[in-house]
Amino acid sequence: MRHALRVVAAEALKQHRRLFGQPLVVFSMLIWPVLTLAVTYYTVLPVTGAPAAGARWAVAGDPRRLLAFLAAGALAYTFFFSLVQSAWHFSFERVSGTLEAVFLSPASRLALVVGNGAGALVQNAWLFGCFAVAAASAADLLRVAHPGMYVVAFVALLVPAVAWGAFLNSLLIFSRDSAFLYTLLDDPLWFVAGVRLPLFALPVWVKAVGLAFPLTSSLVVLRGSLLDGARVAELAAPLAWLAALTVGLFAAAAGLLRWGEARAARTGSLQLF
Amino acid sequence: MAAVWPTFVRNWRVTLRAYPWTYFVGTLATGLLTVGVALLAYRAIGGGRVAASFTAATGGSDYLGYVTVGAAALTFTTRMVLWVAKAQITEYREGTLESQLLTPARRLPYLLGVTLQALTTTVVEVAVLLAAAVALGVRLSVPDPLALVAALAAATVAVLGMSVPLSAVMLAAGEAHITQNTLFTAMALLCGFTFPTGYLPDAARWLGEALPVTWALRVLRAATLPGASVDVPSALAVCLALGAAYLAVGLWILPPAERRALQRSGNA
Repeated sequence: MRHALRVVAAEALKQHRRLFGQPLVVFSMLIWPVLTLAVTYYTVLPVTGAPAAGARWAVAGDPRRLLAFLAAGALAYTFFFSLVQSAWHFSFERVSGTLEAVFLSPASRLALVVGNGAGALVQNAWLFGCFAVAAASAADLLRVAHPGMYVVAFVALLVPAVAWGAFLNSLLIFSRDSAFLYTLLDDPLWFVAGVRLPLFALPVWVKAVGLAFPLTSSLVVLRGSLLDGARVAELAAPLAWLAALTVGLFAAAAGLLRWGEARAARTGSLQLF
Repeated sequence: MAAVWPTFVRNWRVTLRAYPWTYFVGTLATGLLTVGVALLAYRAIGGGRVAASFTAATGGSDYLGYVTVGAAALTFTTRMVLWVAKAQITEYREGTLESQLLTPARRLPYLLGVTLQALTTTVVEVAVLLAAAVALGVRLSVPDPLALVAALAAATVAVLGMSVPLSAVMLAAGEAHITQNTLFTAMALLCGFTFPTGYLPDAARWLGEALPVTWALRVLRAATLPGASVDVPSALAVCLALGAAYLAVGLWILPPAERRALQRSGNA
């Protein structure tokens, strides 16, 4: 266990050194999401301002609540997307020729992918800082049942995100066309997870697909606990589902790593891209 | 102008040999999902109706048509910029920029060749997006086909105009990813692709007015929205004037940017 923790810490540190302070991080984690949030807000405004829209969806009646709803979505999405980006960067090890060296070391593979995701998340803590400042300036929009719900919201975002990162990493490490997966997981992810729309507006099949992604349930918990004043008991179902998904993702990551490594050892494909 | 045709042919050969499917799927997904969100929100939240502010700003209540045309226009702009603005930084990355600078060909014909080739592929891609939107249930109309042709020409000039200074920025910075995506997200907000620019705060609206793409979009609205009140000749004139001004600035700052890129690769 101690060995695994050291691998996690070392990989997280490496990731931090590689990415932190890079202009790309500021643009992709803050500037682009804020601009995109504004575009989404203005695009749905003609519909949420329609007669009787407030009766169908309470949030639609108040533009500030709508913005808070979309901002929570943008925050959670950016948080998860940072893992997609981190995993994508990890796949560059293949191009740099260091992936084989990583697999020759005795480091635990699962610890490695967990460390990569955890590193990405730790360095995105400032993103929460920005959100907190924005939330404080509109404190009347936050409806929190009790202070403990902040912890619930944060954990419901953090733990499944780390599992998601581990899963993506294990997938991308063994894929030679990582750019394609990166594209696949960018736009469709926000669509099925209800980032820009309330879940009731989505067709049943999209909701079913969305359930497979932890972002969907994390977002239900985040919005419920910060914007709707929900208590743990009311969020029990999404929390339980998140716990199950997290375990499932870790198990899938471990399985994929084992299978992928065995296959790479047989085909010698770790250096190909 | 002798370089236009050979560049056109060369880029088609490259496209046929290695078509960038990932880019295509990415931009198509972005456009299609924008239409999807509009469609679902319109049905489930708006109940098939729109706010009075939208009708006042656009002269009609065809929200889905408005967003679809805007999403298609954004796809067009994005794809064209990816081709034209990235043409020279791609030469630089592939190591052919020096050869390009050694040839007696001028820069404008080269860029026109790239633009024409990009136009032929992008029109097909946008047609795929529009066909998919129609299959989803969006109804599109073209009350003024002549304005549509004018809009396409205006949009091409606007995109070429904006791409050339951008190409210089990319070459000078030795970086494309941040520059291009910042431009795309800023344009999506400022030009009014999926919502009327009247929704924006004044400062943002004025920034948008300075971009030729905003004016090309107005001509496009006149061609595709039955109730749109757009003065087509003046919008077209402003678009062409702005596009020409951007192009002139771009051609002026391109040589120093090229020199800088060459010095950097010389030092490396």
